[in-house]
Amino acid sequence: MKKDRRDFINTCFRFAAGASLVGVTGVLAHKTVSGNTLWQIDTTKCTQCGRCATSCVVTPSAVKCIHVYDMCGYCDLCGGYLRPNVKNITTGAENQLCPTGAIKRKYIEDPFFEYEIIEDLCIGCGKCVKGCGAFGNGSLQLQVSHDLCVNCNQCAIARDCPSDAFSRVPADEPYKFSGFKTNKKI
Amino acid sequence: MKNKLILWLLVVLLLVVVGFMAKDLFVSKNTTKENVYEYDLKELRKVDPSKISHEEVKQIKIQAKELHGIAIDSKDQIYVSTDEAILILNAKGEKINSLKVRGEARCLTIAENGNVLVGMRNRVDIRKPDGSLRNSFLIPGEKAFITSLAIDGENIYVADAGQKIVHHYNIDGKKIKEIGGKNTEAGIKGFVIPSPFFDLLMGRQGELWVVNPGRHAFEAYNSKGDQISSWERTSMSIEGFSGCCNPANIAILSDGSFVTVEKGLERVKIHLPSGDVKSVVAAPELFEAGTIGIDLAVDSEDRIYVLDPVKSMIRIFEAK
Ligand code: SF4
Ligand code: SF4
Ligand code: SF4
Repeated sequence: MKKDRRDFINTCFRFAAGASLVGVTGVLAHKTVSGNTLWQIDTTKCTQCGRCATSCVVTPSAVKCIHVYDMCGYCDLCGGYLRPNVKNITTGAENQLCPTGAIKRKYIEDPFFEYEIIEDLCIGCGKCVKGCGAFGNGSLQLQVSHDLCVNCNQCAIARDCPSDAFSRVPADEPYKFSGFKTNKKI
Repeated sequence: MKNKLILWLLVVLLLVVVGFMAKDLFVSKNTTKENVYEYDLKELRKVDPSKISHEEVKQIKIQAKELHGIAIDSKDQIYVSTDEAILILNAKGEKINSLKVRGEARCLTIAENGNVLVGMRNRVDIRKPDGSLRNSFLIPGEKAFITSLAIDGENIYVADAGQKIVHHYNIDGKKIKEIGGKNTEAGIKGFVIPSPFFDLLMGRQGELWVVNPGRHAFEAYNSKGDQISSWERTSMSIEGFSGCCNPANIAILSDGSFVTVEKGLERVKIHLPSGDVKSVVAAPELFEAGTIGIDLAVDSEDRIYVLDPVKSMIRIFEAK
């Protein structure tokens, strides 16, 4: 059956109207869902690729390193704090792995040291998280900080994440630490 | 006709644009994009080839769900402890026996007379060479977690990572004393054990060498429990031990040098009795990243047996 130009344009308009209706319904449905859900990182999937620091629409990133103190070994030679092959274990800037100096080291008692993340300085690069996971107990973990995240419909980091570590979580269970159970930011 | 063609072209163009937008929105992962913030650990896993003194000469595959410990007796028979048995192999690597155990056999050692000592969570079993049970005793304490055993005649030393102490028992299961508890007056700092790896062995002069992993240290004790020597080496580079707590396991060569293995950076090295590093036996590249629980043993020819629980095999290294 051959259609004339008017028929064709009519069909296009009807298709466009139908498609936009489906689209608007989809967006609305998504917004309703995202109203009760938040973006979060599954720490068991994250490979600390560094993109959490560069892909977030918020500057500095809404992703921060959070220290799960209960899992920490309070190590002197902390793989999350110190650069590899440091000559001396000191707090000198040249020995620190964190590119922004966001980790504070405090002596507790022989041979234990406490590591505190200064959230304002952390850019969520995950270097310390990788070092701690490789050489320590994995107590440093990357998480979306919900007091900073603007909960974009499509999280820009989720789109770039090579490990599919981002997913939406229920708003009443907003944090996903591994090896430690809490729904709150710690 | 011409207008119709233009309209079609425009529709095709629109579809192409929409296609690109959709791809950009939903498909693009930028997986190959370099990121300045990525911490590249691969370099740390490489070792200067001139520092490597050994080569891998043989691999023996082991059929078991979990591999925990390895020991070698005076006839170079190989004993491997698994989640449910002790497997005994001859020097060629052929299986000659299997002893059932009650629970996970996390560690084992062989006495001069061929008795097999097996450590389970809080229990020590002493099996005669024919496999029959000679004796068995429990280590009290809710947190007891046995990670290594050593025997010297009638004396049994038990490394308890859970309670961070070495227990001294006699062969009949009678407790004699505890070794290595913090004692500032005696200059003993106490064991720091952040993860369940805590190894010990008998030295060439009958001294007990205990790893203090959180301090990256080796400590020697006499039979009275006095600390008679110690050394520590903390470093990410091969000169020392890396991470929170290493070495994870040790063995001893005929000249009194120590073979060590670390977790985090899975490298097997030899340290002189003074503590200085002598050479690297196996570089981290030979292991899968994240392998934990590698155990070591040495035979009468100073060949080094590395139990690789991820590849489920014994890997034998010989001096080049
Ligand atoms: S982008 Fe994904 S893999 Fe990379 S650091 Fe963030 S969560 Fe981890
Ligand atoms: S290393 Fe990166 S993730 Fe860790 S504290 Fe510093 S900025 Fe934050
Ligand atoms: S949802 Fe938006 S603000 Fe939140 S982490 Fe993702 S990109 Fe950043």
